[in-house]
Amino acid sequence: MNATIGIELARSLGLSRGRRTSGMTVSTPPDKAAGATMSACIVRIADHGDRDAFGQIFNYFAPRVKSYMMRLGAEPNIAEDLAQDTMLTVWRRAQSFDPGKAAASTWIFTIARNLRIDLARRDSKPSPKPDPSDMPEAPMAPDDAIDALEDQSRLKTALSRLPPDQAEVIRAAYFSDKPHAQVAIDLGIPLGTVKSRIRLAFARLREALSTEVD
Amino acid sequence: MARFHPAEDVLLDYAAGALHVGARLVVSTHLASCEVCRATTNLADAVGGALLDDLRPSSLSADALALALARIERPAPPSAPSFKGPHDWIRVPDEVANAYRSRRRWAAPGVWVAPVTSNSDGSRSYLLRVGAGMSVPLHTHTGDEMVLVLKGGYSDGGRLHHPGDFALNDASINHNPRVLADGECVCLIAADDTLVPLSWVGRLFQPLVRI
Repeated sequence: MNATIGIELARSLGLSRGRRTSGMTVSTPPDKAAGATMSACIVRIADHGDRDAFGQIFNYFAPRVKSYMMRLGAEPNIAEDLAQDTMLTVWRRAQSFDPGKAAASTWIFTIARNLRIDLARRDSKPSPKPDPSDMPEAPMAPDDAIDALEDQSRLKTALSRLPPDQAEVIRAAYFSDKPHAQVAIDLGIPLGTVKSRIRLAFARLREALSTEVD
Repeated sequence: MARFHPAEDVLLDYAAGALHVGARLVVSTHLASCEVCRATTNLADAVGGALLDDLRPSSLSADALALALARIERPAPPSAPSFKGPHDWIRVPDEVANAYRSRRRWAAPGVWVAPVTSNSDGSRSYLLRVGAGMSVPLHTHTGDEMVLVLKGGYSDGGRLHHPGDFALNDASINHNPRVLADGECVCLIAADDTLVPLSWVGRLFQPLVRI
């Protein structure tokens, strides 16, 4: 049982980085250029309410946010609704995006994640709540504003180079909707081992971001 | 400046969205006043962004973009009024401040509780105020309990916990925390289990014994 889940998880988490075989009309230039374009689009939305820029953001991210929600177990129609809500929030809160501090994908990930948490919450307790995407996000640490795009591309490289056992627990945390303790049980790995893999992975990612900066 | 922080695996669960709502609230309150942990969750958010970016796109319904373009024309709903916690607390999210304003109940002399969140899985979070010098007899926990000091402080196993400090207590812990003698202590607590009603939690505290 556990072994099956483990294999299933490992497969669904795709330790190899999936190629973008998009059926959409979106072209996929190299990461950094794409990232810069996306950041610029959000700034254009913030500054000018630019609908073309919104369309570009939508075409690139809405299908990915839908995939993210489906990975976490949402039915396709719910996943698409959440992708729509994420894009609406991008439009409304574009002013709060700071391209110097975070990549577009990072900012949009946090919006999608918060909306998903909110939905789970509404499902579990029927109480009217203020828009939880208004939940105060912790502000960015000031000295992290180095170069968000450079960071993002280095981070991706570092992620792809993580040893498979570390990559597995990291990806499982994001795509299985369970705390790492449960992930440990599902993967049949002792909790202490999972914790130490997480520590090691974070150390590597940090290191990847700190080299070449100075 | 906090001295006790959530471990990295807790911060990863936070960023990945895998914590239950009460635990999430405790961690986000700690983050609001802890730059060190914020650097870690910023990194973890960036990991989430990178993973999102690398996902294979799903196909959307044919009119998806048209729908989105129509929705952005609608006026945004007014944002909910926000409240602040008392001025002598560390900064807290609106939800916590609201619980303080509207849901405090005295549970025992010197002790009040205010429920903040409760979840269908049995997890919950609440504010707990305990008077100066009071303590809880030696006990352990059935599930995980996260504690964050908002005001005042307590000692536990020789360690002093001050505002912003985070503690994770589980079944491996046997302790009898004591509120410092110089004033009340208010904590935000998230617990996995609901075996004990909140009103009982308050009655566990014993007043300072003067000899």
